Amino acid sequence: MNQTLVLFRRMTDYPADSHTLDRYLETGGYEQARVALGKTRDELVELVKSSGLIGRGGAGFSAGMKWSFLAPARPAYLVVNGDESEPGTFKDRQLLERDPHQMIEGMIIAAVANEVHEAFIYIRGEYPKPARRVQQAVFEAYERGYLGPNVMGTGYHLDITVHLGAGAYICGEETALLNSLEGRRGEPRLKPPFFPAAKGLYMLPTIVNNVETISNLPHIVERGIDWYRDLGHDVDTGTFLFSISGHVKKPGNYELPHGITWRELIYDVAGGIRSDNELKAWVPGGASAPWFVPSKHLDLQITKSVTDTSGSMLGSGAVIVMDETTDMVAAAERLVRFFAEESCGQCTPCREGTTWLDMILRRMLDGGGRAVDLDLLYDVSDNISVGVGWPPKQTTICPLGPSAVSAVKSLLEYFRPEAEEHISRANRVPLAIKGVGA
Amino acid sequence: MSEMITINVDGKDRRVKAGQPLIQACLDTGSYVPHFCYHPRMEPVGMCRQCMVEVESPRGTMMVPSCTMNVHDGMVVHTQSDMIKKVQEGMLEFLLINHPLDCPVCDRGGECPLQDQTMACGPGESRFVEEKRHYEKPVPISDLVFLDRERCILCARCVRFSDEISGDPLIEFTFRGANNQIRTFPDEPFASYFSGNTVQICPVGALTAAPYRFRARPWDLQKVASTCTHCTTGCDISVDSSQNQVLRFNGVDNDYTNHGWLSDKCRFGFEFLGSDQRITSPLIKGEDGEFALASWGRALDVVVERLSGIIERDGGGAVAALGGARGTNEDAYALSKFMRVAVGSNHVDAQMDDGLNAQFLAALAGRGRINDLESAKTVLVWGPDLKEENGTLYLRVRRAAQTLGARLIVVHPRRTGLDDRAAFKFGYRPGDGAETLRKLAAGEGDFAAAREVLGEGSVIALVGRTGYTEDPRLAEAVAAFVRDLPGSSVLTLARRSNTYGALDMGLAPTLLPGRVSADDESGRSLLASVWGELPGAVGRDARGILQGVRDGAIKAIVLQGADPFRDVPDGALAAEALANAEFIVALDMFLTDSTSTADVILPAAAFTEKEGSVTNLEGRVQKVNQIVAPPGQARADWSILDDLARRLGKPLGFGSAEVVAKEIATVAPAYAGVDWDAIDTEAGIVVPAGDAAQPLHYVPVAGWSGNPSSADPGGGKTMRLHYARTLYDDGVLMRNGLSLHMLAPGGFAAITSADAARLGVAEGDTVIVNEVELPVRIDDSLSNGVVYVPFNQSGITSLGDSLEVELLVKEAGA
Amino acid sequence: MTWSAETLARAHDIIARYPQRRSAVMPLLYIAMREDGRLTDDGMRQVAELTGLTPAQVQSVASFYVMYKTEAQGKYLVSVCSSISCFLLGADDVLHAVEQAAGVPAGEADEEIGVEHAECIGACGGAPACLVNFELVEGLTPEKAKEMIEWLRNAKPDVINADELQTLFGGRRSFDWAIKEENGAIGPYPAFPPFGTAAHNTQPLEPGRRPMSNSQPAPLEGGTS
Repeated sequence: MNQTLVLFRRMTDYPADSHTLDRYLETGGYEQARVALGKTRDELVELVKSSGLIGRGGAGFSAGMKWSFLAPARPAYLVVNGDESEPGTFKDRQLLERDPHQMIEGMIIAAVANEVHEAFIYIRGEYPKPARRVQQAVFEAYERGYLGPNVMGTGYHLDITVHLGAGAYICGEETALLNSLEGRRGEPRLKPPFFPAAKGLYMLPTIVNNVETISNLPHIVERGIDWYRDLGHDVDTGTFLFSISGHVKKPGNYELPHGITWRELIYDVAGGIRSDNELKAWVPGGASAPWFVPSKHLDLQITKSVTDTSGSMLGSGAVIVMDETTDMVAAAERLVRFFAEESCGQCTPCREGTTWLDMILRRMLDGGGRAVDLDLLYDVSDNISVGVGWPPKQTTICPLGPSAVSAVKSLLEYFRPEAEEHISRANRVPLAIKGVGA
Repeated sequence: MSEMITINVDGKDRRVKAGQPLIQACLDTGSYVPHFCYHPRMEPVGMCRQCMVEVESPRGTMMVPSCTMNVHDGMVVHTQSDMIKKVQEGMLEFLLINHPLDCPVCDRGGECPLQDQTMACGPGESRFVEEKRHYEKPVPISDLVFLDRERCILCARCVRFSDEISGDPLIEFTFRGANNQIRTFPDEPFASYFSGNTVQICPVGALTAAPYRFRARPWDLQKVASTCTHCTTGCDISVDSSQNQVLRFNGVDNDYTNHGWLSDKCRFGFEFLGSDQRITSPLIKGEDGEFALASWGRALDVVVERLSGIIERDGGGAVAALGGARGTNEDAYALSKFMRVAVGSNHVDAQMDDGLNAQFLAALAGRGRINDLESAKTVLVWGPDLKEENGTLYLRVRRAAQTLGARLIVVHPRRTGLDDRAAFKFGYRPGDGAETLRKLAAGEGDFAAAREVLGEGSVIALVGRTGYTEDPRLAEAVAAFVRDLPGSSVLTLARRSNTYGALDMGLAPTLLPGRVSADDESGRSLLASVWGELPGAVGRDARGILQGVRDGAIKAIVLQGADPFRDVPDGALAAEALANAEFIVALDMFLTDSTSTADVILPAAAFTEKEGSVTNLEGRVQKVNQIVAPPGQARADWSILDDLARRLGKPLGFGSAEVVAKEIATVAPAYAGVDWDAIDTEAGIVVPAGDAAQPLHYVPVAGWSGNPSSADPGGGKTMRLHYARTLYDDGVLMRNGLSLHMLAPGGFAAITSADAARLGVAEGDTVIVNEVELPVRIDDSLSNGVVYVPFNQSGITSLGDSLEVELLVKEAGA
Repeated sequence: MTWSAETLARAHDIIARYPQRRSAVMPLLYIAMREDGRLTDDGMRQVAELTGLTPAQVQSVASFYVMYKTEAQGKYLVSVCSSISCFLLGADDVLHAVEQAAGVPAGEADEEIGVEHAECIGACGGAPACLVNFELVEGLTPEKAKEMIEWLRNAKPDVINADELQTLFGGRRSFDWAIKEENGAIGPYPAFPPFGTAAHNTQPLEPGRRPMSNSQPAPLEGGTS
């Protein structure tokens, strides 16, 4: 299975120096920013809307629609979400490190389209190296006059500031990211009323786009809507960056068209399961997504709609593959623990519920499982995400709590006998530890 | 008012205010929705998730927190569906899993929203078998407040209050997720003047107040609604007592005044009530100068004997009365009538030479309402630092500027608590007020933008004396300026809680009860028809009275809750006067510097020990109610004065406080129609009810040009004195309440760093101002050439009220 | 405590980059860590003063983010990823090896080395992975992790350089890094120079110590390279 190289093209062709300004210019760089500077907001919004570009942050919303919702108040801000923290996801790191100018050019286009003169790149704190690379690229762009008071001699003014996070997954949620950028705790805001396009950074209209989304823009401007749509499959236009990790032979980031099957992705693209073991399950779209299992999902096409209707999501494009040796209770616990540790703690069900789920799973792993625990896991999940379905009907402020439920739901749905086995092995544990009588 | 719309809640149509939060609409119309973080006076945060309801929408039924969704016409809401009940139970289970359930030793137990809502909507048993979170408990986070993080349910009410309402964000969430916890910064306690509000609104026992901890069980408490009597705002309170002891004040949400909030002084300043220093029996000073216990009969006989002797010898004008602004209207009326009728003197003053023209305060034309702050586009504060003197009014002004978007203009010689919210802040040197006003009115220089804003109208001005050295005519001149602005109103600021009521009762030489000018013939004749003959001579004000006593023109003085030693800025004058008085009778609760000079002390009942009415700065008459018996033989002032008058042969005819109130309504035009049932309500009654009932329309004197000062501030040792109150001080009620007295800042002399350099002093060095030694503090919010000293601090005698003082540097070792 | 004029000037540069000064809290907290080696109360007070917040507000923000360390972390903070992808490939064994080799349990530190478990660090294609002073090492094994700790203990490098660590102790990477960097981290906080403050939180390697070759000898099996 060949990759369809667009975003990864330059770094594939020029592995040694794809990040440099010289290489970027030599391969046609910053020409599309110049083109965009000559266009109106309406033209650019329409272009992106028609391209069908879907935001790559995980929520799967049309980027052009998001732009069109920008409220009239000014100043407006552009914030690029480089807080990539969803377990299994590492594609933005590659884009940031290896082709930062591609993103900066995309930012110029997005800025012009949204009448923005001040833009920010929020990069997670654990990515100092990508941040250094982006900062260097921003400096270079300033030096060449691609940024600053007179972008490319057009009189357009644009400043870009690189902002480093400090270790909080939740800041990938766009309103939490804005709070963080304002120097606050990274707690998601209430939606409604705080949709960023209306009330974003400093309560002013703000566009928040993911690194991958923004990196697509120069290509869409250059090669047009038809080309971009043809790259994709039906309504899923363009290419898609998959981050494949876990028990596969060839983990890594792959740029692929939509519409291939999971079997092709796991066995052809990623080289199959390590040691040719059996595939047990995989997470199709980042740690938040309910799991897929080979018996039901292996030959499904990888498109947004098929994945959605099958009870999960493509999300951030992170595929985490688990083979037959995996203890599914342990895997679920590890996923739930992540969300419990990363919960902002604002709302009751997420703060208390995710932690409680993790405590139960840990107790099961420690041999303290009780027969009632599986039903308890389900019911606690139900109080976080009513009906334990996907997309979730959440009692929480943001989707983090229901994301923790995905692993529990998947465990109970596909691997209940394995969980029961854990509990039946618990007999040798003293009653006190099992909590009997507490 | 706001538009009404119809929504459907659980199958019933409800008329509700358009645009209000859905939860409030449900609560107002009888559908209870459980909640913890929602508070009607703060921005919704949707954090506890307890108030989830289902709302029908074109895309199907949505589950939403009802606090973050506003109602719209035709909204269909389900608060009782099976799903919602399950969610409510689930949220309560989540809140309880880490709750310590130490209800038996929790102050909140019995009045705890978490308990109550668990009873109503929670699970019957716990499924949580893991280890609960543990924190050290309780942790004192200030001198007044304790924090128990195990009980905390993280609703952010305290955090939001401190940030949104009181503007001192000292208590915050820390860490995150399951470790999320409320904390203060190390070594930076929750030293907010309003910290007690967070205790009141905490929905569990996570925040408790030192003065109330472990003092009572809620079910043993008796409660009565009353009105706070610490400042002139007139805040709505609930007084809780048990076993004839007042144990707690809570704020009551009143749309007109405090919105439910109280300053800590108001909330915790009740401790003096139970002080063992209270005077519980009449005291007569013997030949040896020591007080001896006496019966009421004996004490009253002595007073009558001495007073009547003086009146017979020198006339009623040889007797004067000071005070009356700390009691009820009925007490003040009794003193007013006692002095005019039984004594025959017009020498009465409720203000202690620290206020404003009595007619200006009582009868200002165009007096505003506190609620003008809700709609004003511009708020001008030119008076005392509201944070120090009128705490809840400060919160209302803050709200206007912070939440309602009003432009705030603050004029004050020093920084004030409102500066951070002020669009314009102008400092000036005391004494330069008239010039500052002239520049503001003319829009000169830095004042241009502020003048423009004022010119746009919709202005409410809060006007008073910024400090004791400021000429009272400045406030009048400011009020006169504001009155001429379009759509403006003025609220004046006076000290002591019932100053407005006392003036309305005629406790000023220029006023008779009902805002009648003392020289108004028709007013006098109306009053004379009930009172009989009125003294004709012009009375003296507080300073005049003290000078009269000092000089021997006045022989006897009646102190009604007055402590001239501490209250009068010129403490030296007060001391000389009291030392020279032939006879002093004091109606008081405590032995003070002043009452200890008295010949007879009559024990007075305090608030919560008597009924009556009080009048706030708007003219709002509200009820104060009794919940405990006065200690020992203490009695209400009106009753003492009634007894005295009868023994003087001039009975006042009072049988009860309510009888007094009825007489007030008869003789005081502005109080016509005020009756106790009507004032025992949220709104009370604002007097006068109509223009016809306002016999005196005082128009402030404009164009006051100030007192040109000869001093040369910035040059030699002569400095201008800014002498102003702080919330906590060495006042008698503070001194007898343990929790607050220790919070007083103590005396100091603040000067700018430039003056400090010029004078060669540093922070902490000692300087001498009017013979008083004070440590230096640097305060660059002052103007150069100004020294600021807080009024009435422990161990500091009065500095006097002269504008100019010498600042001497105390040499080391000297 | 107050910061030096130079540090204050840097802080003001950062504040000037933002429309509202409160936004500078996070970069300033990193400067505070750089100043004191960890986030101290004084550091938070200084940040509060510069941003117009109360110290309690700054503490509230700082404590939300796990990278602001109020406890000393030693000279080298080793953060071993324990999230799902690393977990599936043996992260717990790596963490255990690090704890054993350092003699420091996760969540603690001695004067030289701090050990912690980290949630996903975005190196899932090169799992298991860890950060040393937030510089990445991918494709670890328990043995290599142990060697790395011993190297830190013995070589005591002043500057931590990811390329060097990866060459010495790493294995499979998420993708070819392809960037030769000569700077590195100088303490348990990210080596990132905020805008206008280049080379503040990073420092070049000492003369004679160069990062290893930027192209990894072992070819990558998968991903884009």
